[in-house]
Amino acid sequence: MSMKFLIVGGGAREHAIAKRAAHYYTVYAAMPYRNPGIAHLSEYKITDILNPQKVADYCDEVSPDMVFVGSEESLFHGVSDEIIKRGHLCIGAKQKAAEIERSKAFMRRLLEKNNIHGSLRFKTFTDVTTALKYIEEYAGSIAIKPARQAGGKGVKVIADLQAYLKDEKKDAKKKHAAQIVKDHLSQDLDDQILIEERVEGVEYSLQCFTDGKNIVPLPLVQDHPHAFEEDIGPETGGMGAVSGRGQLPFINKGEYKKSLEIMEQSIKSVKSETGEDYFGVITGQFMLTDKWGPTIIEYYARLGDPEAVNVMAILENFDEICEGYINGSLAKIPAEVKDSATVVKCISPKGYPNQRSLGKGKKIYVDIKKIRELGAEVFYGSVYENGALLTGGSRAVEIYAEGDSILEAGKIAEQATQYVISDWKLFHRHDIGSQELLDKRMRTAQRARDVYQYRAEHNLIGRNIDWIPGIGRIET
Amino acid sequence: MAGVLGIYAFEEIWNVSRFLYYGLVAIQTRGEEFSTLSTGNQYIIGEGLPDTLDPSGLKGQAGIAGVFTKEEGFYFDDEISVLYDGSIDVKTLVHQIKNGDKIEDVLSSLEGAYALLVLKDNVMYAARDPRGIKPLCIGGIGFDMAVVSSESSALDVIGAEYSRDIKPGEVVVIDQFYIESVENEPFSQAHCAFEFVYFSRPDSQVFGKSVHSLRKLIGETLHPQDADVVIGVPETAIPFAMAYSGKNNIPVDLGFVRTGRPTRTAIKPTQLERMIGVQLKLNPVRTAVAGKRVVLIDDSVVRGTTMRNTVSLLRRRGAKEVHVRIASPKLVAPCPYGVEVPTRDELIAADNTEEEIARIIGADSFSYLKVDQLKELIGLPVCTGCMTGKYPVSTGSGVYPAEPTGVKTTSERAAEVST
Repeated sequence: MSMKFLIVGGGAREHAIAKRAAHYYTVYAAMPYRNPGIAHLSEYKITDILNPQKVADYCDEVSPDMVFVGSEESLFHGVSDEIIKRGHLCIGAKQKAAEIERSKAFMRRLLEKNNIHGSLRFKTFTDVTTALKYIEEYAGSIAIKPARQAGGKGVKVIADLQAYLKDEKKDAKKKHAAQIVKDHLSQDLDDQILIEERVEGVEYSLQCFTDGKNIVPLPLVQDHPHAFEEDIGPETGGMGAVSGRGQLPFINKGEYKKSLEIMEQSIKSVKSETGEDYFGVITGQFMLTDKWGPTIIEYYARLGDPEAVNVMAILENFDEICEGYINGSLAKIPAEVKDSATVVKCISPKGYPNQRSLGKGKKIYVDIKKIRELGAEVFYGSVYENGALLTGGSRAVEIYAEGDSILEAGKIAEQATQYVISDWKLFHRHDIGSQELLDKRMRTAQRARDVYQYRAEHNLIGRNIDWIPGIGRIET
Repeated sequence: MAGVLGIYAFEEIWNVSRFLYYGLVAIQTRGEEFSTLSTGNQYIIGEGLPDTLDPSGLKGQAGIAGVFTKEEGFYFDDEISVLYDGSIDVKTLVHQIKNGDKIEDVLSSLEGAYALLVLKDNVMYAARDPRGIKPLCIGGIGFDMAVVSSESSALDVIGAEYSRDIKPGEVVVIDQFYIESVENEPFSQAHCAFEFVYFSRPDSQVFGKSVHSLRKLIGETLHPQDADVVIGVPETAIPFAMAYSGKNNIPVDLGFVRTGRPTRTAIKPTQLERMIGVQLKLNPVRTAVAGKRVVLIDDSVVRGTTMRNTVSLLRRRGAKEVHVRIASPKLVAPCPYGVEVPTRDELIAADNTEEEIARIIGADSFSYLKVDQLKELIGLPVCTGCMTGKYPVSTGSGVYPAEPTGVKTTSERAAEVST
């Protein structure tokens, strides 16, 4: 009889994990609503996945060999802690360790305190008045974020480089800071607003399995946060993601190594800071910046979405890794991945991301047969069933395809998008996986690389040197 | 002749009016007589450069703005704001859009050469004519705004990143919730060749090419001449002179110093204004030219009067010889697509050979860039109507149009639109 695997969560990410797990295990799922993809391949229970008792009760009922907590909010609410308390093996960071994602202020302090490469300058605010005062007096090019993770929402990055547009930008910054406190008021954290220095460059995600001592990295993936074509439009949770065969073409080996080093140090620091081994999944949302080279923008205490879909589809020894967690032998198990490039395209209803209510409850039809005929696969995200399949307002469906190159995978995924239809307007990005976009990434990465290498040669990495008339040289 | 700019912010926290204003300053070289700025519910019109506009009272999440060489190319009312560079039947356009017809359908039935921006019900439409005669590109500012502009330099100035050119025949619809592209069937392409020689800023990219790189190629191609110094007429002709100098191993020097603020003399509406402009603009630097054989490079010659004045100034400062090279082909016909080329009897090149022009302006030699040379250097299908009299849009090919659509008077346009 095969082992029992229980997944907690009901999105496309959990669908991808469950689908991979189903290759080896009998899958059970605890999800907040019926995800048709997960439902199809598991025995499941619809339950409040933020309630540790309810999830743990289901675990007791199933008695799984391992539980995998996919969703960050479950981690934040201590679901892993309760599952572990009841004696189950749980792949998913405990509440204290998941703080690295929940509190962006915690994350920044951790990096700063432990002197980890890529520590951006930041300031935290517990009330909006002080934040507004700071913006009025100092803020230049900055990122303004809710201090608590809010599903990726509420982040605003403003380049403030033109003196003649300064007032407009100051105005927008203030309005946004006020909006954060209004929309994302954190009940469980003192810090409300985080302001950090803005960096630019190319983003990439490094997803890793770890038991706190050993780390199993997965291939690099690049997400596409802009809602619309050609990197225009508001920030989303990600409109799609690409991975090359093993690596991304615009990140070199040294940069990859450095990124992994940063993650190893961060995981160790979590232990020294919280006393907890980081046991679960961690994703580094990196940017190759001109200032530091590889730089952490945010940490996730779980796999990325859509990045999880890219890697789970090609991860060929997921069972060994899971059992490595059980046996404490993770050190000996590197990830074995199929030698394919992958592309994921997310299909969202009009209204996403800025007014999700607009695109909620719309009928959506997915022709799985046609999509599979193309060699592509469907993962269900923000959809639910009520007679028909209905949209939840966020990214509804994710299309996965693989190929010998990102270009080839992109073409297949693009073709497959035509088989997801709705009476409501749906959109996705045609350009994800295109040569034009890859070329652009290569150029942006090279620009950042040229500058950070210059800085490295001149011993300037991580240093800010300024000269102010009347005051003199200031070094930080 | 005009320059257009549109900005759409995806969130209400932004007011785009000042972004529009500074972006407009970046393309003010495309039209100095009228400036306009609209945020849909409010609009302002200034007689002159963008600094005649005060955007401080305007608020909006989306807006469009333009600069124009005449009182034409814009239409505003309570429902709709329209701006265009080029020529199009704006009266029919406005009428049909108000009737509820889709913009792409209206455009597919209208002849014209245009970079068009429409703002209606908080939705922005950006369109290019199916031949791609006028330039228009799109980019974005972070996660906050989409920006559409005649020239990419306006994007640079307001901190936007260039994404791509809008395609010939394409209509880009920009809404708070999506950006959609509708593509009408493109015709055979005919990009305005004059954008490369004269209109666009050298720091812009138009029709997918760097303007500056192309101008350097043009400078290298101009007819060689044994001389002691090369000078260019500010500002457009300086890069031509630099490239000519490198190619022919003749030192380039600072030939002129400008008096007063920069202005584009060739697109001034009256002869007196042009002459005042030129005389104020160009004071030759004596030591750069005195006792020397001078190659003088300019971007264009229309009537020849300003060039004659310039050559004479150089001789009075002691130039031994003056050889004039023009970095564009001779103009022989008007432009029906909104560029102000004088009528045939005002064009020096229409009836005179290069030798005759040299004598008229008092130069030792005179030579234009040839149309075929320009075409080859650009390497794209181009419209050379003003240089050949042959137009991509049928207006009687090869025949000098008696009433080109682009040169209707202000009052005629106003009358048409208001009816």
